[in-house]
Amino acid sequence: MLEIRDLDAAYGDIRVLSGVTLSVGPGEIVALLGPNGAGKSTLLNSIAGLLRPRAGAIRFEGEDLNGVRAHLIVERGVALVPEGRRLFGSMSVEENLELGAFAPRARAGRVAGLERVFALFPDLRDRRRQLVRSLSGGQQQMVAVGRALMTSPRLLMLDEPSLGIAPRLVRSIMESLVEINRGGVAVFLVEQNIQAALGLAHRGYVLESGRIAGHGPAADLLRDPHVRRAYLGPLAVRE
Amino acid sequence: MSVLAQQLLLGLLIGGLYGLAAAGLSLVFGVLKVLDVAHGELIMLGGYMAFFVVAVFGLDPFVSLLVVIPLSLLLGVALYWGLFGFVVRADEETRVKNSLLIGFGLALALHALAVRLWTADERSIITPYGGSVISVGELSIPVVRLVSLAVAFALIGGLHLLLARWRWGKAIRATAEDWQAALLTGIDVRRAYLLAFAIGTGLAGAAGTLVTIGYSVSPSIGLEWTLKALIVVVLAGLGSMIGTFVGGLLLGVAEAASAAAFGGPYREVVGLVIFVVVLVVRPRGLFGR
Amino acid sequence: MRGLAGRHERRWAAAILGAFGLLALLPVAVRRDDVLNVVFLILLSITLAESWNIVAGYAGQVNLGHAAFFGLGALVARTLWIGGTPIAVALAAGAAIATLFALLIGVAAFRLRGAYFAIGTLALGEILRTTINNALPEISTLPAPTIATYRLTHRYYLALALAAVSVLAVAALAGSRLGLGMRAIREDEEAAEASGVGALRLKLTALALSTGLAGLAGGLFAFYHISYYPSHPFSPHWTFDALLMTFIGGVGTLHGPVLGAVLYVMLKEYVALRWVDFHLLIFGALFIAIVLLLPGGLVQAAERVRRLVRR
Repeated sequence: MLEIRDLDAAYGDIRVLSGVTLSVGPGEIVALLGPNGAGKSTLLNSIAGLLRPRAGAIRFEGEDLNGVRAHLIVERGVALVPEGRRLFGSMSVEENLELGAFAPRARAGRVAGLERVFALFPDLRDRRRQLVRSLSGGQQQMVAVGRALMTSPRLLMLDEPSLGIAPRLVRSIMESLVEINRGGVAVFLVEQNIQAALGLAHRGYVLESGRIAGHGPAADLLRDPHVRRAYLGPLAVRE
Repeated sequence: MSVLAQQLLLGLLIGGLYGLAAAGLSLVFGVLKVLDVAHGELIMLGGYMAFFVVAVFGLDPFVSLLVVIPLSLLLGVALYWGLFGFVVRADEETRVKNSLLIGFGLALALHALAVRLWTADERSIITPYGGSVISVGELSIPVVRLVSLAVAFALIGGLHLLLARWRWGKAIRATAEDWQAALLTGIDVRRAYLLAFAIGTGLAGAAGTLVTIGYSVSPSIGLEWTLKALIVVVLAGLGSMIGTFVGGLLLGVAEAASAAAFGGPYREVVGLVIFVVVLVVRPRGLFGR
Repeated sequence: MRGLAGRHERRWAAAILGAFGLLALLPVAVRRDDVLNVVFLILLSITLAESWNIVAGYAGQVNLGHAAFFGLGALVARTLWIGGTPIAVALAAGAAIATLFALLIGVAAFRLRGAYFAIGTLALGEILRTTINNALPEISTLPAPTIATYRLTHRYYLALALAAVSVLAVAALAGSRLGLGMRAIREDEEAAEASGVGALRLKLTALALSTGLAGLAGGLFAFYHISYYPSHPFSPHWTFDALLMTFIGGVGTLHGPVLGAVLYVMLKEYVALRWVDFHLLIFGALFIAIVLLLPGGLVQAAERVRRLVRR
């Protein structure tokens, strides 16, 4: 479904990604792990169209995404829940969610989509008129995921959804991701919380210093020394 | 006492126009992060548009708004496509600086063009009801300026509703808050920019019309109105159109008060001094977020 | 902008000063007042543009209130000179007052960034202009005995000297540690601060130099004109002229403002003879084109042409 081949990305003169190759199949949950600064956000931003890669190919359902403007990528069915949520603080929960269904394709299913989000996150239904900036971190994350869902994606990407959220809510959000996946949406998850990510993923990749350092089924990765290094730092490899 | 009240009233009446002038600038600055210092020239052009529409078609000047506003919207589209659309390609800091410079060049060119086309003379629109006043107690309220205030208020109110209820109005607000997040929700940010700029120019055209009706227009009012708009935007802060309108009223009243206290010539100075003080002390403005 | 400090500037400074040397002979070769007046205007413009360039090009801030310092210099110099003070002292006093005022407002002004600094300084300039306009509405005319002994050539050589001083000052600045520090701030203020460059102090120094030169230029203006309205040199169009000239020539370079000034004045003189206001239209359009396409002005354009030719 999503195919990335030999991707190079940079910010100005600083090279962030080199030769990244990975794929996400339909209906899969794929995790992307790696230490801070490895380039995980850069990869997601490149796919989402916020950053133009220097070289390489990004293909979604057979079509080239490289160079397509970000809002059109959303229209094609790829949605990103960015790091730090990036909600529209001055607007209500409902307004934020409705804006998710802004693009033409999503707009048709707006009302049904809203119901689906409230079914997934019942907390939000009670708070639909509340201004988003008055919500807790966990609730905001729910709105962020909900807003992305409203775009009717076939691939949902998330950048560190567990960051700054209480553990109980992290579990709840991860469960909702499984739910979303069961509904036919592929999930590409970037996470620092290895346990949570590999707990629900089918497969995973490890990104270190802009390169893929490992990949495989989730269970294998949990045991992999590379992964342990990414999780616990260089000291962890000594076993 | 009644002289002071009369002065303050007149200040209030022009304050509404200050608010309208500032609203357009505030919208453009808030959404595109572009400081269009040619905004005053756009107001001036709007004024001339009104003048000629009335002169050629014999319309009532307030009715001419129905022609001037659409024309100004189109002008805004043209200016965005031809000029400011390129400025928004840069990052925010460069954008602000470039827009400042480009706006400056545009202001210069438009001013020169206006002088060339229409000479430096002042023009005003004469109406049969132009001199009439409504007397309330000891105050005489010029009808034309009162209606202008009402129109300005209606336009601002309309803008507020547009931003709150219209789908693209919300998209514009979202873009103003976080353009990358807006892109990620499927909003064509460039279209939002275009709309915001066009609406801003439309408001400028309306303001120019009201200025010409109540006062007069000449090529040199550009810089003056740009400064007024800037003062109000800084005073009121970004993010609230109603707040901007109120800021305009405040400026008008403050000017009138200082003219009453220190004499006419210093009317202009007080606005500028307020401006500098607010800029240094509270850049976010009185009502800004 | 140009990354090389020092050597490039020095070469250009030498060339320009050489040209100035030739210009020194002009009053002897050509006895026509109108030619001298045009060259005077060019030299005054060079001084004004170079002075503006210091803050814009080297410290990276767009100062839209530059005319305020030009005006202050003119005001002080004129008042003192008409009162009997020798012109040299009057000029120095004008520059000193301008610089003092700049330093007073500088600390507050530099708290503002980017566009806010620009519009804040614009407002300050307008405050000064309006105040002077109200306080001194009458035209200032030189007393008859002074008019009788008026010598254009004196003004001419003073303008030449001042233009040379401004060029030298910018050249010295570019090569100095001060200049490098300023350039660091312009590129990236936060990084510069982090590496120990005292940003505020550098910016204030740049401002002091810039406004001092502007004050001197103002004094020159006061020395030159027989009669003018005291608020005239405070008019924002002096700032805008300096801005246009510097940008069109190439902001942040030594020779940019010089090129811009020469082009601006010549074009203005030529076009103004035929179509009074078209020159502003042309310059407005040229300015926009430069900001969008060629931020380095004519200097950058020349660079590109040179590179093309070399191939």
